[in-house]
Formats: sequence, structure tokens, C-alpha cells
Amino acid sequence: MYIELHSRSSFAFLEGASNPEDLVESCAGLDMPAMALMDTDNLSGAPRFYMAARKLGVKAHIGVEVTSAAGGRHVLLAENRTGYQNLCRLLTAMKLSAPKGKAAATELQFRQFAEGLICLTRGEHSVELLLSIYGRSNLFVELQRHFDRDEEARNQRSVDLARAHQLPLLATNGVRYADPVKRELMDVLTCVRNKTTIAEAGRLLLRNSERHLKSGREMARLFADHPEAVRNTVELSSRLGFTLADLGYRFPPYPVGPDETMNGFLRNRTQEGAQWRYRPYHERAQKQIERELNLIEKLDLAGYFLIVWDIVRYCRENGILAQGRGSAANSAVCYSLGITAVDPVGMDLLFERFLSEERGEWPDIDIDLPSGDQREKVIQYVYHRYGQHGAAMTANIITYRGRSGLRDVGKVLGYSQEELNRLASLVSLWGFKGENETVERQFAEAGYQRDNARVSKFMQLYQQIQDLPRHLGQHSGGMVICQGSLDQVVPLEPATMPNRVVIQWDKEDCADLGLIKVDLLGLGMMAALEESIELIRTGFHEEVDLAHLPQDDPQVFEQLQTADTVGLFQVESRAQMASLPLTKPKNFYDLVVQVAIIRPGPIVGKMYHPYTRRRQGLEAPISLHPSLDKVLERTLGVPLFQEQLLKMAMIVADFTGGEAEELRRAMGFKRSEKRMVEIEQRLRKGMDSKGITGEQQNAIVQSITSFALYGFPESHAASFALLVYASAWLRCYYNAAFTAALLNCQPMGFYHPATLLKDAQRHGVKVLPVDVEHSDWRCKIEERCLRLGLNQVRGLRQDAGAAIVSRRPYRSVFDLSQRVPELMKDELRQLASIGALNRIGDGHRRDALWQTELALKPVGPLLESIEPLEGLSPLRPMNPIERTNADLSGTGMSIGRHPVAFYRERLRAMRVLTTAELKRAGNGTVARIAGCVICRQRPETAKGFMFLSLEDETGISNAIVHPDLFEANRLVLVSQPFLLLEGIVQNAAGAVSLKVARVQGFVQESVAMRSHNFR
Amino acid sequence: MFAAVHASSGEDGLEELARSFSPHIEMTSADTVTFDIGGLRRLLGGPHQIASEIAHRANERGVAGNIGIAATAETAILASRSLPGVTVIAPGEEARHFDGLRIEVLPTTDEMRMLLHRWGIRTLGEFCALPESGVLERLGAEGRRLLRIARGDGDRPLRSAPIPTGYLERLELDYPVQLLEPLLFLISRLMHELCDRLRTHARATTEVHLVLELEGGTEHPRSMQLPFATHDAKTLLKLVQLDLERHPPGTAVSAIRLRLVPVDPRRVQNNLYSPPAPQPEKLELTLGKIRAMVGVANAGFPEVLNTHRPDAWRMRMSAPSSKLSVEAPPSPRIAFRYYRPAREALVEMRSGRPQRMKSSNAVLTVERAAGPWRLSGDWWSAECYVREEWDIEASDDVLYRIYLARQKWFVEGIYD
Repeated sequence: MYIELHSRSSFAFLEGASNPEDLVESCAGLDMPAMALMDTDNLSGAPRFYMAARKLGVKAHIGVEVTSAAGGRHVLLAENRTGYQNLCRLLTAMKLSAPKGKAAATELQFRQFAEGLICLTRGEHSVELLLSIYGRSNLFVELQRHFDRDEEARNQRSVDLARAHQLPLLATNGVRYADPVKRELMDVLTCVRNKTTIAEAGRLLLRNSERHLKSGREMARLFADHPEAVRNTVELSSRLGFTLADLGYRFPPYPVGPDETMNGFLRNRTQEGAQWRYRPYHERAQKQIERELNLIEKLDLAGYFLIVWDIVRYCRENGILAQGRGSAANSAVCYSLGITAVDPVGMDLLFERFLSEERGEWPDIDIDLPSGDQREKVIQYVYHRYGQHGAAMTANIITYRGRSGLRDVGKVLGYSQEELNRLASLVSLWGFKGENETVERQFAEAGYQRDNARVSKFMQLYQQIQDLPRHLGQHSGGMVICQGSLDQVVPLEPATMPNRVVIQWDKEDCADLGLIKVDLLGLGMMAALEESIELIRTGFHEEVDLAHLPQDDPQVFEQLQTADTVGLFQVESRAQMASLPLTKPKNFYDLVVQVAIIRPGPIVGKMYHPYTRRRQGLEAPISLHPSLDKVLERTLGVPLFQEQLLKMAMIVADFTGGEAEELRRAMGFKRSEKRMVEIEQRLRKGMDSKGITGEQQNAIVQSITSFALYGFPESHAASFALLVYASAWLRCYYNAAFTAALLNCQPMGFYHPATLLKDAQRHGVKVLPVDVEHSDWRCKIEERCLRLGLNQVRGLRQDAGAAIVSRRPYRSVFDLSQRVPELMKDELRQLASIGALNRIGDGHRRDALWQTELALKPVGPLLESIEPLEGLSPLRPMNPIERTNADLSGTGMSIGRHPVAFYRERLRAMRVLTTAELKRAGNGTVARIAGCVICRQRPETAKGFMFLSLEDETGISNAIVHPDLFEANRLVLVSQPFLLLEGIVQNAAGAVSLKVARVQGFVQESVAMRSHNFR
Repeated sequence: MFAAVHASSGEDGLEELARSFSPHIEMTSADTVTFDIGGLRRLLGGPHQIASEIAHRANERGVAGNIGIAATAETAILASRSLPGVTVIAPGEEARHFDGLRIEVLPTTDEMRMLLHRWGIRTLGEFCALPESGVLERLGAEGRRLLRIARGDGDRPLRSAPIPTGYLERLELDYPVQLLEPLLFLISRLMHELCDRLRTHARATTEVHLVLELEGGTEHPRSMQLPFATHDAKTLLKLVQLDLERHPPGTAVSAIRLRLVPVDPRRVQNNLYSPPAPQPEKLELTLGKIRAMVGVANAGFPEVLNTHRPDAWRMRMSAPSSKLSVEAPPSPRIAFRYYRPAREALVEMRSGRPQRMKSSNAVLTVERAAGPWRLSGDWWSAECYVREEWDIEASDDVLYRIYLARQKWFVEGIYD
């Protein structure tokens, strides 16, 4: 028997060509009972390796090749938990003490963290040194045989070395990929790593294809002259007691007073909070809270709740908006502690979805925070509280996808930049991929045919490289906290952002290995809401409390029902706008449904149309099966939420709570298509036994499995619905402040700032231009109007903007340029050209530009303080089109006329309707519309249809392009900023769109507003 | 008076066209030439006649484009670049021609154009209407220059293009020459002349192009690349001789064209401590002689290629520029003597190891064998290779390297 103890996976980042799962699968296929993963300087692949091995009954040993500052690498295996902890600490120490990408461990660090580690050597380092670090019993001399003459000479030296020092030999194959076909990919990765092409890589490439996983028999034959080297692999494997099951991770306790317990402390805080939340604190709530607290005590989770509570308390005390999302919103304890804002008792939410005794896993609490500085403050608070080695961000494994794979493989194979640009431009960016949009077609369109051997190889490698890890990134908000040292559990690395530390595992790995993660997610809308409240306070001198907004305000719902939702959270998209007039939400729960319904899950599962028809009263609310009536009652017989699907599985197929939970994880878990198939089989079997068969069974299975990727929990939708309502209420009553906040928090949301601004203007918001004498850095409220801030000026740096604000007033353009020397030439010109200097220039924009040029010319020390005498400029003022163009190119938006308005006469002559007129057009009539394209979408769920949003001076109109028409007019549709469309009006209960029959670019002289293109 | 020709096609003939009118020409850009036509009135007549003659000669040379004639060079250039056909601008009439032109025609930077655009200046007329002092204060000397060009008084001297010096000589023979010796004598004359010219201009050459025009109208072209720059006629002549001995013209020669490509001369500072090396000229001559004997592909500087492909090397004509590595190999190695080409063999295997080998009619028993050593690579190209090698000690006490490729056995060579 033989155990492979030295194999690299793709997580060695360009030094291995197979994913850990593939290695384990090959290992199991060769009947090898154990295997060691040995990536370079990281343990990123270890969790996936361990999980895959556990599933196939393979013992997963953990090791790392650690780069030595003296050159070469120490090949180390973790014998026990101490060894694993030392490995993590060694990697952390070396990574945190060197710039990113340059880490190497010193001899001192190797010595400090040597206990519990076994070292394999091939003679690159002095044996005496290694003996002194790891000890005689922990040093093995490694032999590798790849049918290589030079290597054999090295092996002979190794054997001599082992004999001289009486050290055991160990056979390994230095595996780089699972099977021999991956050798070519390995060569490509080697070239990427060395930044060279395959033709020039020369001896950097592998000599042959022998670095794959080999069977015990093959290895025994290879090492027939040293059988003990093979035997020793089994012996050493039996010594390696450590696996990731024995991680030793513990969540930190929350510090309480000497006379208190954590449970008691949590109980007190919860009861205090419940008194504040529930007015009155009714019996149902009391019972629910008691039940939850008992379970939390039983599962010993009080510390976890208190730590999250502590973070939320910090936010509250520092005026930072924070709101829990996800399944935490199912908990009345979370609601009482102020972690979430939805009352789960009032909404009858399923607590078991959040926490269940049966499941035995940590609950998941995600907290939404205002994106930007405020969130960073909270992250730094957590670091500060738990120490640099006690808390860290989770990683995000960046993998090869579409274009990145194409570029790297193509470059290595010697394709030119132009060729790759052409090919890359044909990689579909849209979510939808038609049946014909294959790799072959993509290559063929770029002029490359598969029958050419070189092209065929390119395509093959391009497909092989997909999903292989490229490098380690940082997850947007997941934080892992640990009692004692997190660096004993997983290696830590410095992030590219200052003062941030990141672990080497991603969030799925953390979940798999039971590490508790608190997601501190940045939400642009939270930042906008927070800033809106502040702007209302300073601009209108009024206080708004988001927690106590008037409920079910009719005006707010009227806006929502008429799809007047530009800028609102979650319901502003084109698809939402098309749905709102049909579903006509009337209360808060309708909003919860609305948030969940425009999702790929319900759309693919064909739940959208039945629900809207039932909302309109066009169809009876009948469930998929009578036994599901109660579960689906609130959503008119249509399953929309994860919780409902779990309950459905429990009812129709007798799933236990645990099985239902497995189903849920499979749903949200990208890597588990196989698991989904298994679960589907179980579901069908369960239904068969209950007599649910045929079409009914298919419909139920489809509704469950279509949630595979994008299931949306009801509690999560409820948390989001709160933000929808808050944003709608603010837009309804304080639109100027809300729009100012949205502009300040860009980029966020569905629309470009220009569209947000025009929408606000159409709703009566008066907007004042950027003015160096009045604008602050951020947009603000000035005499109940929205004053654009200097932050909207393209190319103006914040320090220059701050200097302008701090040193005003100014007498003239010359005065400004003299007293704000931070301003650069282009910045001053930009300010002049958008009219920001009109007031101090004492004239029009071109007067200011004329003065600007003079102010910019150095005159020498003698004359520099003397202001030049300047009359009016000889330049003519800008006309309205020129002003709009200057605004659009200088700030991306214009408070003047809409660019399309300048062409209205011409468009009228062409019988083109405005958006307002289109809304009044009858269903089925032929109409023309024109406008600038503010959004293009070709979603995965729409089978190749393209959706366009066009804006003119009266609003936003929507159009639908058939796939055939899209193919015929692809270039015009994706590249023209202004479009003129002709088609048939589709008016369904006020949701108006144009089914396009003809497309043309609308030639104009204006600068276009930018569009957002989405999948 | 100045004339400017802006070509839309046939740019190659521009310089020759201008030189046919004046020695005082400026290659303003790749597609524009400007020249002084001050002295042509007597010869050709007034500006319109001159313009007509330029158009005529341009047509003859295949140059198509616009012609501008004006009192200043800048005005002529602007006219040729902005106005179609032939434009003759009389002094004082510049504004009439230029006022309506778009501002983009001014020869300036994108930044300046953007600035004028921001000012709302769309035409040269609008630009000219700005006060000169205001423009000067804001845009400095560049603004003033542009203003002058726009107004038609942008005067400046021409930046004359030097008359190109050719290193080309042609000799038409009174009677055809058949023998190499008299031919070389004639070539020697041309070579000395051209080398003298190179020396005079402090130049040297690395390329010799010789064309022998043969009886019957055909040509016998020969070209040589040198790894060093020289103006030594004797060396060059010797190389030509060696080349012609290998590649004689075959027919009688009626004319000779010889062209040397000029480059900067070689500057060498010999190192006091470096071992003396043969002079490059001498080395090249020696190599030339060897190549004449053994063939061009069989003499030069062998270079081992950076690949795992066995026995991969190439012959360089000149020594590689980088210094040869003098690092000792990591361990002592046995020298290996390649058979080129490798010899085919028949190998009998037993239990996966070679037992007997038959090659060159000798049958040998394999006493000891080490291997197999596997090699594969170049999978991305048509030259991909897969082979399995063995080192064998045969019954004749010789250590061979044999290999199996494409199901055939070969003896690659012997260990020395």
C-alpha cells in the first residue's frame, strides 16, 4: 500500500492544475485510504480537500510547502493539532511580516513553530539544520521518481544522505495534477506564473507527464529498489493524527460581571429590549422569546448573540444605522436586542429557519451597514475588540472566469493582444446565454475554427482553466471571530486595504468547518438613508425616526403601485417597475412579497405569473396540492420563500427538519449540483409514497429545485422590505434630501445619477447647480432645494474641493486660483465650464473660462499678487445645448433641459411619442419612442430577450427586444447611446412597454448620459 | 512665395516632386511637402502657372492631393491641408479663404483644441476675432503662433531637408564580362568608391546588396549581412568574392549595381584583461571561407536551445551577444557523443527492459540498463514529441543511449 503525501492542488495558485476534489476523487479511485495536500504557503484548499475526502472516506492529511527566506521550501506535514496550529501560526507570522506576495519564513520562525510538524527533505537544506529544528523522528528524506535522469542522480544523493544520517526514506510523487491529461494545463499555468509564453518557457515547463496521482502498485514498482520508502508512507500516514475535524475553534465568550452569567445577561438584555420593542409586550411575544432563550441556553449560544448585540450597540451609540438581515430576522430575541428590525411574532415567521436543535450548526447573522467609512469604522471596532489575531475578514477565492481565462491562456499560447481583444469582446457579458452561444461559436465569430489544431488546443485549455483559483481576494464583509488566537485555526494574511487582515478560507469553507462568521455588509441604501436623515435634520430642521415611520402611508403606496420608484431600494429595476402596477402592493407584507418575487428563483420556477394573476383576481389562489394550502396561504397558493419550500418538503415528502435544512444548503450552495440531484430523487420518492405523482409532483419538484441558486428567505425579504418602505417614504416626503443622499452615495442602485436627478426634478425638486461659493463637498439641502456638491465634478480631487469650501468667499476667479493653489489646471477649467465659477466670474461660463486661463498663467513674483484688470470676455455665452453638453461631460448630469428635449420638434415631425404620451397609448397600437438608453438588460431568465429603458424629458419608458431582432441589430442596440424604436404598445393594467419591431440609432449632437448594462 | 503639396496618395513621390522645382524644400510631414518657389516666376510665370506646372508634374509622378500657394510657408501649408484642389492665395486675401475653416485644422495639441472648443471657438474666423493681446496672455507663444497661422501671416523659415546621400553605384559595361576575376576588378572599383564615401561621412555598413544585370535582361541579386559594421573595402570585397565563388552568375554580366546600407560605425574599447579575440573582420572572412567549403548551414556558432527537446540546438551566423555562462555544472557529467542522424535499431525487450540490440548489423547483448527516462513536450505545436530513453551498457563495453519514438528504436549516441 502507498499513501501520497506530497500533492499540490490548484490552490497552490498556478502551481497545481487540479482542484482538491479531483485529487481526492482520483485518490479514492486508486483505493488509497489517505492523502496529504501540500499547497505552497497557504491552506486555502484544505477545507475543500477535507470535505471531499470526508465524503469519500479518505483521510485528509494537511501540509504546506513553506517558502524559506534562505531559499527553497520546507515541506511540512501536521502530525497533530499542535502541529497544525504551528503551521497556521508560521504562515501567519511570515505573511504578516512581509509585503503581499513576498513572504518567506526565517530560520527563527521555523524554529519557533516546529513542534508537531514533520519535515520532508530532498537535500536542498542542510540536514543538520533541519535535524536541529524538527528533530530526528520528524525528518524524512523524500524520493521522487518521474522517469528523469537528472532527478535520479539527486535521488542517489538523497539515499546517501539518509544512510549517512540514519534517516528514513519516503516515496512521494510530487503530484501537481490528478491525471496525466492535465499536464498541458499545468504547463500553461507555469507560463502564467512566470509571465512568459509557452514557446519561450523552455525548461520552465515539465519534462514529461508523470506528476499525476499514481497507484500503490505503480509506486511499488517504481521504488522496487527502496521498498521501505513506500512502506514508510503508510507508517507516516498512521502517525498523522490530525484532520480538520479537530480544528479546536472556539467562539469567544462575552465578558460579563462577576456575579452574572452570559445566559442571565442575555436574558436581561432581551427582556429590556422586548419591553421597548413590543408595546404592549404581549403574551405571544413573551412565549416566543422564552422559547428562543431556552433554546439558546441549551445550545450554549448566548455568547454569540451577545457579541452580535455588542456590535449593533456600538453602531447605535455611534449613530451608525445597522440592521440584521437573513434568517436572523426570524428571531424575536434578535428583534428585541435591536439586531433586526422586523417583528417575527407579528409576521408569523419561522424561528426554526434561524435556529434549530436538530441542525447543530451556528446561526447566521448578517448585518447591513452603511457602505463606506461607517462600515469600516465597525470593522475596525471588531478588530480592535478581538485583536489582530482574534478577528479577520473571510477570503474570496478569485477564480478563472470567461475573459480572464481566455486572456491568460491565449497570451500563453502566443495570441496577440488584438486577437484576444476580439475574442474577449465576444465572451457574453449578458446573463443569458443562448443555445448557440458556445465556445465554438464564440471562436468561430472571431475567425477561429476548431479544425485548426492550435485553436482546438486553445479552446480545450480555455475550458479546462475555468473555475480554477487564480488568487486570494477579500470577501466584502464576512468576519470571523475566535477565542484566543484565530491564527491557530487558519493562517491570516494582510489584505490590500490597510489595517485589514484576511483569513485564507472563504465563507463556504468557514461554514463547512464550523467557524462562526458575522457578515458586516455594506449597503449603499443604508448609507443613503442615514445621510437623508442627517440632511433632513440640517436642511429642514426636522427629525425622522426610521424605526417609527407612519405605517401603510397611502401616498407612499400610490407611488409604488404606479411604479414611480426610481431610486428606491430593490423595487426600482425595470422588472420591478413592470410588475408593481400588476401586483399593486397595499401593505407592508405585499412589499415583502414584492422584494422576493422579482428573483431568478420565482421567475424560473414559473411562479411570477400565477402570483400576479392571482393578485389581479384573474385566477383562483389554489395551491399545488391541498396539503400545502396552509403553508402557501399568504402567498396566494404560490411558493415564494425558502421557508415555504422547506415546509413543503416536510409535508409532501416527509422530510425531517435536518433533511429540509440539507435541502436549503444545497439550494444556496453553488458547488452542489450533484447534491441537488440526490435531493430531488429523495423528494420524488417521498412524494410517490404519499401518492403525489405525475404533473403535480413535477410542479412541486420544479418549484423547489428552481430555488437552487437564488432562494430568498421570507425573513430576509422582510428586512429588505423595511428599507424599501423607508426609502419610498423619504422619497415621497423629503425627495430633495433623499436624492441628495443618493447622489452622495454613488455608485449604487440601478440608475445613473443623471436619471436620479431628472426624476427628482420631474417630481418638483428644485436643484441648484454646483457653485464654488455655495456648494459643499457633498450635495446638501439649501433653502429646501437640492444643492449639488463639488463631489459631482468629474476629476475634482476631494482635498482640492475641501480647500475651496474652507477658504471662501472669493472675489474673483483670480482670487480663487491664488488662494486655492491645490487646484490643478484641469480642475479649474472643469469648474468654469460647468458654471461653478459664474458667480465669482461675474458673467457667464465662458467669461469664467476666459478668466481662468489668465489666472493659470504664471506672471512671476513681482506681479503675482496684483489682480489683473479684466473686462468681460470676447467669448460668446454657451447656448442651451452647449451648456447641457458641458454639464454632462463635467458632472455626468444636467439640471437644464433633458438632452432629448432639444430634438423634440424634429422627433414630433417623425411622429415619435414622449414617454408620458406612450403611457396613454392604447394596448396593441403601433408607436415610436426615442430617448437616451439608461439601461440595457439581457437576463439569464429571459431566454435571449433584451430589455431597454429609454429616458426622455417626460420620464422612463421600457422596451422589449426579441432575440432575433437583437441578433440582427446587436451593434446598434449595445452601442448607440440614443435610440429610436418602433413597435407595438403593450399596456397591461398600467404597466406599459413597447415590443420593438424596428431599431435605429438616433443621431444627435449631444453628449449622452451613461447607461447601466446588466445581466 | 511658397508652395505646399498635401498628398492623399503617392506620398513617396513628394520629395522628388518638390526637388524638381527647388533645392529649398521642407518635408513638413509624411504627406506634406513645402518648398520655396521664389525664383520660378521668370522660368514658369505667375503663381497660377507655377501651380499648374506643379499639378502637372505631380500627376506624372502619381502624387494626388491638394496644392496651396501663398506668400508664407504656413499659409501655403494650411491651404494645401484644408482647401481642396489648387488654391492660390494672394497676399491680403488669407481671411477670405480661411475664415470659414473649422478650428480643428490648426496644427496644435489636442489640449489646445479642447480649450478653444470650450471657449466656443468653432472656426478660424472666430479665433481671429479674439484680441491678440488676450490670446497671448492666456495661451502664450503657441496661441500667438496659431493666431498668425489663422490670419495668414504666420511666417517662418523652411526647415530644409538635407539632400540624401546615396551609397549606390551602377556601372554599365562596354562589353559583357564572363569571368569572375575581371568582374571582381570592376566591383572593386565601385566598392572602394562607396567605402570612401562612407568614411567621409563617418559611416560604415552592415549590409551589401549586389545586383549583376545579366545578358538577356535577367538579374543575379546577392545580399550579405555582416555581424559588424565596417567600411573596409578589402574585407567587403573578399566576402563578395567568396559569395560569388559559391554562387556564380552563370551568364555574362552586362552591368553592376552595388548598394551599401549605411549604419553608425563600430566603437570598440578593448579590455586590457580580456583574452585577445580575432578581429571580427578576420573571423568573418575565415567563417566565409569555411562556409564556402562545408555549406552555410554547417558553420557558425552553435547554440543550445532552451527546451527539454533532446538534442535541440541551432546554428547562429553570428556569435550570441550575451556572454557564455562559465558556471560549472552542478555535478560532473559524462560527455555524450551524438550520432547525427540517430541510427535506427531493433531492440528486444524482456519484462519491460531492453535485452538485446541490433544496430549497424551488429547484435549486442544488453549487460545493464538504466531507465526508462521519459520525455514529452511541445504539445502545442506540430513538432510535439514523446520518447522513452534507456542508457545501456552493451556487450561491446560501450555505453549507449537508445530511445523509442513513434514505435521505432534508435541509437542516439554513446557516452564518451
